Amino acid sequence: MSEVLQISKLTKSFTGNAQPAVQKVSFSLKKGDIATIVGSSGSGKTTLLRMIAGLEIPETGQIIIDGKVINDKNIFIPPEKRNCSLVFQSYALFPHLNVRDNIYFGKNSSQNYDLIQNLIEITKIDQIQDRFPHQISGGQQQRVALVRALAINPSVLLMDEPLSNLDRELRLNVRTEIVSLLKKLKITTLIVSHDTEDALAVSDRIIVLEKGMISQIGSPLEVFNTPKNCHVALLFGQSNFIPIDNLKKKHKYFILNEKNEKVISVRPSQLKIVNELALDDDFFFEGSIINICLLGLHKQLTIKCKQFVVNVNLSNLEEAIIGDKVKVVFKKTHFQI
Amino acid sequence: MFRVLKNEILFKLNGWTFLSFIIGFLIIIPIAFVAIQFNNSSENWYHIQENVLYKYIYSTLILVLGTGVLSVFFGVTTAWIISFYEFPGRKLLEWGLILPLTIPTYIAAYSYYDVLETFTPLMLWIRNNISFSAMNLFNDFMVYFVTIIVLSSVLFPYVYLSTRASFLMQGNKLIESAKILGYLPGQIFWNLILPLSRPAIVAGLSLVIMETLNDFGAVEYFGISTFTTGIFRSWMGMDDVGSALRLSSYLMFFVLLLMYFEKRMRGNAKFDQNNDSSLTHKRLVLSSSKSKSVLVICLVPFTLGFIIPVTRLSLWSTSASKDFFNIELMQILFNSIGLASFSSVIIVIISIILLFSSKYFNSQIVKITNQFSVLGYSMPGAVIAMGILLVSAYINGITNIIITGTISSLFIAYLIRFFAVSSQPIESGLENECSQINQASRNLGKTAFQSLIKINLPLLKKPIFVGGILIFIDVFKELPLTLILRPFNFDTLATLTYDLNKQAQIFDASVPALIIIIVTMIPVIFLNKKLERKS
Repeated sequence: MSEVLQISKLTKSFTGNAQPAVQKVSFSLKKGDIATIVGSSGSGKTTLLRMIAGLEIPETGQIIIDGKVINDKNIFIPPEKRNCSLVFQSYALFPHLNVRDNIYFGKNSSQNYDLIQNLIEITKIDQIQDRFPHQISGGQQQRVALVRALAINPSVLLMDEPLSNLDRELRLNVRTEIVSLLKKLKITTLIVSHDTEDALAVSDRIIVLEKGMISQIGSPLEVFNTPKNCHVALLFGQSNFIPIDNLKKKHKYFILNEKNEKVISVRPSQLKIVNELALDDDFFFEGSIINICLLGLHKQLTIKCKQFVVNVNLSNLEEAIIGDKVKVVFKKTHFQI
Repeated sequence: MFRVLKNEILFKLNGWTFLSFIIGFLIIIPIAFVAIQFNNSSENWYHIQENVLYKYIYSTLILVLGTGVLSVFFGVTTAWIISFYEFPGRKLLEWGLILPLTIPTYIAAYSYYDVLETFTPLMLWIRNNISFSAMNLFNDFMVYFVTIIVLSSVLFPYVYLSTRASFLMQGNKLIESAKILGYLPGQIFWNLILPLSRPAIVAGLSLVIMETLNDFGAVEYFGISTFTTGIFRSWMGMDDVGSALRLSSYLMFFVLLLMYFEKRMRGNAKFDQNNDSSLTHKRLVLSSSKSKSVLVICLVPFTLGFIIPVTRLSLWSTSASKDFFNIELMQILFNSIGLASFSSVIIVIISIILLFSSKYFNSQIVKITNQFSVLGYSMPGAVIAMGILLVSAYINGITNIIITGTISSLFIAYLIRFFAVSSQPIESGLENECSQINQASRNLGKTAFQSLIKINLPLLKKPIFVGGILIFIDVFKELPLTLILRPFNFDTLATLTYDLNKQAQIFDASVPALIIIIVTMIPVIFLNKKLERKS
């Protein structure tokens, strides 16, 4: 399948900042791919998205959409002439236009009547078409912004923190709706999110940015289970960094600190407590429980052994007492990666 | 730098940005022309430097200092009372204290024309009992004293408005916190409210100082030689354009210096905008005796700046000669309204083009030319007028086209002087209302013109209206620029008032003066009501 969006060595600096906001970023997306750019604040996520949309001019690098160069050393196609549309974080609905006029605002959108009607139906906003943005809920605004962006039938859809303004319950619903809609339309989508849970839930691929550079690109499972560095590991939640000296088999490791300590990242959920060790257990250690923390659906044990301390998730059904000596091993799933 | 320039030229240059850059550049040129005249030599310059330059500097500094201090005193005191206390008449005074703004400084001066005469017996007594030089000293003192009071009483609303807005924006939380920490009301004012309002007070004060420097009518009437009167005297009295230009450039650098200090004093402080503005102050209800005291305090500047001038002008207007109310007066009224209306429409359109281009295309070059273009508002009218005359002479020399003494030169002058007035509300409207939705509109494939018509203009109706009204008021009462640049035999109400007062026709002069006050009062009240509703 041909690539719809190709980004090559994209770099952008802002005056007054010593470090570039985005540095030599390269990746490509195929038709129908849903990719999410994640990273901490100031990592360059939104700048990257805005460059693709044409709202920022890159310093160097190339952007190609549908085989057409829209950004190069001496080429800059303005946003209005690019075949991509952006859903803004605050939705940017036109406050003086009703929902219908907002949706039909885009270039040539009136020619996509059937598509728009279909989108309106799927997103269940047909009842609110005569209302103004301030008269509808946040979730509805989000859907209107999405339909408006899709109404011009873009090759690439860009979404800047599309779920950040919604409360948790609404977010889960809208998240599911968006994914099913995008999959149905097979539209290439690039989402920016600081929420790794959203990224894991909606993406085919995840691009992790750190200080303007790509730290890792991979499937959600890859990035979650085998992060390439400490930053990626911690971005997706709590993790134990276990020195590779303690492992029987070879694993992809990374350097943890200046002491050149070679470690792998193991999530608390990827460890379990066993009574007896099996022969194929790659890693195990014994230690004593020094803390127990109740986390709703499960509890987390902090276990201290000679060399290090690890956190292990344990079902609420199982019992544990501080001071108990326990054996900890990898869950089988960890090896399946 | 090279990258920015490359982006601007390669990727952002289009009809909009090019046109905006050219207009912005044209606005800057007259001011820039004046700036390079600081070394202009003329035959009279030696005389000016030896005999009067010191006086210009001295008088200007005294006026600026005195008017500044008194305006801050009037403005902050009244803003404090109106914002924090409840007493009978507060609501009326809240907007009443803005009304002195409707009275131009030169009209206020005419309404106090005979004040100095009341001191004549005292001066005679000083001459007879002390010395002639003591009388002169006292006379000088009284001239400055009266001028400062007259100027402050009509300019203090600038400080009052900015300070009151700052007080209201501070909300109640900080005051309640201070109370809990054991602060008394007086301590809260001095240690909390006042330092927090410093940026607002400095902003109001800088406007007062700029208006003082711009004033020509009042200082000329009271016989004080300032830079502005010096420019007029050099050009019109001595027919020495070179000296007038050199004085203008000096005055301009003084204003730039002032702006630099204002910026430094204000810094980037925006303390008053961090707090919950939705919580308005719980005003302290005052006892009957205290109510009377604060009422008197508020009434002093209001009476000096509005009641006395309006009452005296109204009384004098009844004695105006009957044949004064003729077609000529109607023609002059029509001139003023036409000039102000047309100027406000043109300047607002130009402001929209310049600001929209800068924001929509994120053009740094247009942004820079726009930033320089707003400098005109800080420049005294006389400086701008000299700049226009200079540029007109150059154009005339090259193309034989005569611009001097035409309506078009007056429009250009108003554009330079008042571009900032309309650009301020329109720019903040663009920033607050349209910034992201313009990006959305571009992203959805709309052209700049479509975005302007379909998105920006409907959303910017209010700021455009406010900008237009403010320009109308300013042009309607403008004197120094109009006086220098008006076409031959062309009068406005402002120039008519000036001319009649110069001929000592006080009663007749009161009629156009009153018309100016009434016409500017209507939009001022209207705008204030709107702002009140908004706050």
